[in-house]
Amino acid sequence: MKGQTESLQPRRLTQIVGFLRREGLVVVVAGLYLWAFVADRHSALRALATGGRVFLSVVLIIVAVFGILGLFQVWVDKKKVAARLGERAGVGTVVLSAAFGTVLVGPVYVVFPLLKAVREHGARWAVVTAILAAWAVKIPMVPLEVEFLGWRFALVRTVLTFAGAVVMGLLVERMMIWWSPDPRQIQISAEGVGAAEEPRG
Amino acid sequence: MPIDPTGVVLITLVGAGYAATRYRSAAKARQAARIARKSLLGMLPTFAAVFGLVGLFQVFVPASLVERWLGAAAGPSSLLVGAVLGSVAAGPPAAAFPIAGSLLGAGAWMAAVAAFIVSWVLVGVVSLPFEGRVFGWRYALMRNGTCFLFAMVIGLGMGWLL
Repeated sequence: MKGQTESLQPRRLTQIVGFLRREGLVVVVAGLYLWAFVADRHSALRALATGGRVFLSVVLIIVAVFGILGLFQVWVDKKKVAARLGERAGVGTVVLSAAFGTVLVGPVYVVFPLLKAVREHGARWAVVTAILAAWAVKIPMVPLEVEFLGWRFALVRTVLTFAGAVVMGLLVERMMIWWSPDPRQIQISAEGVGAAEEPRG
Repeated sequence: MPIDPTGVVLITLVGAGYAATRYRSAAKARQAARIARKSLLGMLPTFAAVFGLVGLFQVFVPASLVERWLGAAAGPSSLLVGAVLGSVAAGPPAAAFPIAGSLLGAGAWMAAVAAFIVSWVLVGVVSLPFEGRVFGWRYALMRNGTCFLFAMVIGLGMGWLL
């Protein structure tokens, strides 16, 4: 019964969020198959076979992607980089943050607290936001993206997302300052950055 | 079952990476392998679900439906649909690509598919409460809102470039 009373503690919440993110899909898909088997057994079996075939065609890539993930985890020292990003401020740091974001791997309930620590080290909101946004680039996942969507798609999306991460970082920081109830936050970023964002293309 | 050459090449490269890591530090290589195995096993149910979904999608969802909602002819609204689908979907990023591939194969507009992937990873309706608790609500809402818009902007850029 331990932990029952602290239902709003972050740990409990992370467990719920983690469970939903990981297994919510399993529950939904299992339900869909149940419905499919009742509605049309033949088509449901065909769907199962199709899914299995697609899975077998990419299973080696998936194993490789997770292999890359493991290598990144041991070679990128998250804590060291985090401390470094808290030190200086400037657009260069925001770009560096975005670069860090692209190699950052881990589930949301590991990454958020890590970035919270980065912020508490004195990092700007732009740094935190750029890391989070560039996190969508997913360098280790690129082989998977190439396999399913083609290399042109993967390349252009990666470049655009990276550039977008830097702009988004600066933009969100700007908005945080505008709507800040706490005037001390203004000190964190004195430099004015292009708030009017041009759609890139 | 044809063996995919991309996968073989990739596995070989990753194997070389592990060999090099092992050469530098056996403990590091062991740790990397342990992390890789653990996260792969942890994601196995999700992958089963995702590929199950891909199968269901290809058999039960008519291409005309995808084209109507996500096709290039639907224009800007397809971007919005893509971004909304990505936002409410809860799942690891690796799962987004097979599903996005199915959408693209069924005739969805590339821009809408890109918006779907970006918002899948960046905008989390399910993880919003957690993000709000860690960083504060103001930041969580602003970041997710901005990322949602950006998913569409990036999608638009993709549609324009490709």
